[in-house]
Amino acid sequence: MKAKAVVFEIGWNACIKCGACVAICPQEAGFVSNFDTIAVNTPCDIACMFCETVCPVSTITHRVFSLPSGILDSK
Amino acid sequence: MPNNPDTEFLQEYDIVVIGSGPAGTTAAIFAAKNGLKVLMVDKKQELGAPIQCSGAVSHNALEQAGVFPSLEFILEAIYGFAIYNAKGERKIVDYRTIKPEEYGTQQGCKPLGYVVDRRRFDRYLATQAEREGATIWLKTEAINYRNDEDGHCTVELKKFNETIRVKTKVVVGCDGVQSQVGKWAGIKTHIKLSELASCLQFVVDGVETEGLLEIITGHQWAPGGYAWVFPKGHGYAEIGLGITRTMCTENAQTYLDHFIKNSFFKERFKNCRIIEIQGGGVPLAAPLKIQYANNLILVGDAARHVNAITGGGIHTALSSGKIAGEFLASLIKSGKPANENNLKGYQDEWLKAMGNNMWKLYRVKRKIFETADITQRDEQLFETMSNYFSPTSEYKKI
Repeated sequence: MKAKAVVFEIGWNACIKCGACVAICPQEAGFVSNFDTIAVNTPCDIACMFCETVCPVSTITHRVFSLPSGILDSK
Repeated sequence: MPNNPDTEFLQEYDIVVIGSGPAGTTAAIFAAKNGLKVLMVDKKQELGAPIQCSGAVSHNALEQAGVFPSLEFILEAIYGFAIYNAKGERKIVDYRTIKPEEYGTQQGCKPLGYVVDRRRFDRYLATQAEREGATIWLKTEAINYRNDEDGHCTVELKKFNETIRVKTKVVVGCDGVQSQVGKWAGIKTHIKLSELASCLQFVVDGVETEGLLEIITGHQWAPGGYAWVFPKGHGYAEIGLGITRTMCTENAQTYLDHFIKNSFFKERFKNCRIIEIQGGGVPLAAPLKIQYANNLILVGDAARHVNAITGGGIHTALSSGKIAGEFLASLIKSGKPANENNLKGYQDEWLKAMGNNMWKLYRVKRKIFETADITQRDEQLFETMSNYFSPTSEYKKI
């Protein structure tokens, strides 16, 4: 069985680099993009979506990403 | 971080300050002034940018931190407050009329506070730190830290693509509400969605102001927060708001648009032209219960040193930075190890100076926003804000 995670996508045109998405993120240190937003190229297995909710301009979306079996169990 | 005994350390400092906002620069200033060898790093190329703050700070806050109110960073002097309820009825707290002998534009009087340009303010403070002897590295990202067996620690930095390891006694995490430094040390920094205000503001032309910070309460305009209109100097103003996303279904942008187009200020705003867009996450939360670890402390927004009623963080950052800088100078010069037992002293001093009052403010804020009835909640927030800014407020020092 494959576990589900999400990969976030940022609409850079609307992003105002406010940092709220990083501030609310419960992930471990370093889950940050090169533009000081939430990481965009790394699967997020928490998937609380708080970053999407807190974004003042709603420019964060996600796609569901299937992790290979055992990935989440090992964390 | 790899533990390589062959690593050659390029530099050794008493403290490494990570982040050069008001908390970091003030900590660096007071640590350097008291004889420590200080390195302050920031991953940005331009301090204070992007602006994530409204820029309001009291004269008292600057004075306490030894910061001269320079025209280099002041956009406009302020003299009081106008607090509005949801219907637009307002209470004025203008110190030009309450204490005319102390506040005003006449000779011998001073402003109550200022709206500052954060880019220039942060740069000004960094300059003061450098003049006190601190070393500043820009475009330098802090990657990680490791406690060493000798009681010191090693910080891994990336400066213009070069990896540098620096040996130090204490890492001072001043990297803001998005702090990664606290996470390195396993400090519980997580903030609840119900306690992080989602903020958006426009700097605009074409809106008159009167030397007051205007605060607009009411669930319909800013659920779980408030809206504001601040003077911004040279005829500009700042219109913004912060909302709590667990108390509404729309984002801050929608609420700000609604406030500008439909509030009792719609006539006032109808010709405004947006010249800057800024935003931020503001923790309307309790300060962190633990703000230290072995070889590490957190200061400012990183430790949730934010006024939970107003969302203001500059005053608390300056005060906390001063406490941290002076405490670390005293500790390190004493020769005692910078372990968590000794660094707890920083938090104790901070609690005594301001932290206990900040906890009180947090409890007041929580009680207001836990009130289920929206009308009652609006009334409580309006009353609390009105009282907070009065000359008799018990909290005026924070």
